[in-house]
Amino acid sequence: MHELLSSTAFWMCLSIVCYACSIRLQQRFPSPLCNPLLLASIMIGALLVGTGTTYQTYQGAGQMIVFFLTPATVALALPIFRKLDVLRANLLPILIGALVGSVVSILSVIGFCRLFGLSDVLTLSLLPKSVTSPIAVALSDMLGGFPSVTAIAVVFTGISGAVLLPSFLRALGIRDPLQTGLAMGTASHAVGTARALEIGETEGAMSGLAIGVAGLLTTVLLSLWTMVA
Amino acid sequence: MTYLKQLAVLLACCAAGEALSLLLGGRLPGNVLGLALLLVLLLTGVIRPRHIEGAADFLLQNMAFFCLPLGLSVLDIFDQIKGEVLAIFAVCVLTTLCTAAATALTVRLVCAVQRRMRGEVSDRA
Repeated sequence: MHELLSSTAFWMCLSIVCYACSIRLQQRFPSPLCNPLLLASIMIGALLVGTGTTYQTYQGAGQMIVFFLTPATVALALPIFRKLDVLRANLLPILIGALVGSVVSILSVIGFCRLFGLSDVLTLSLLPKSVTSPIAVALSDMLGGFPSVTAIAVVFTGISGAVLLPSFLRALGIRDPLQTGLAMGTASHAVGTARALEIGETEGAMSGLAIGVAGLLTTVLLSLWTMVA
Repeated sequence: MTYLKQLAVLLACCAAGEALSLLLGGRLPGNVLGLALLLVLLLTGVIRPRHIEGAADFLLQNMAFFCLPLGLSVLDIFDQIKGEVLAIFAVCVLTTLCTAAATALTVRLVCAVQRRMRGEVSDRA
């Protein structure tokens, strides 16, 4: 049993099975709370805790899975290219929207961290939490935060964005694919984009574009901030 | 073989992006540079959508799956942050809503201003 539980192939297979089950559950119960990433994380997390397997053991499979996140991020160029007409026609809304979103993300992190009495180190760890994890972790390191906390905050943000934003934006009366996509990509990076791609290709393309634009703008904003602070 | 070739093209962009990132002293992340590079190659027609689309669509459609290990990394450091975990979660949720609302409403405003300016221009003409 121990041999099986330390096998990379076993956890890799189990991850795919849990993800496939989560997709089926979402198809059966199409609620935002049935987010495949959230459900699969809970399933695998429960299996790891239940079998007493450490995250280090899971990392054999985990590193292989997460490796594909980089080519997947690069592949976002394709939906952008396919929606180039929409992109050209909306250049200003995209740039200004992502800039305001990035500024509001940073300021609201500072505000809510003060409100909840979180330490400076945790605040620094949360500052880049709206952008895609490789950028966020690098920025957290640069600022002197905990990169591991940042990685978790990025996932919390991605999941909460993917779960809450479609209904939240509809409640605000936002139905336009451009507004929805840019808001989801700016606020909740690749996880939000995965959800946005399920809504529609324009939403996905805008969201995917916002990952890059918001990631670059947040990098510039936080670099400037460290120079001033 | 088609998918492998397509994956190789995507990985070449990843590798070039990472090399470029090192050349720039790590000021810009490799995956974003790789994305920008692939977009430039698509725009200039060096790479056609058919050179990547099977593998690219597979990766895009399953993006949430590739994020799964990031979600599970919470188990690794949970003991260190368990006192603050609720506050961290609350900050993440609230700031995500603020950011999304600000972005969506800004986009709406910019679009409305643009429409008005175009309208005024056509009125004068």
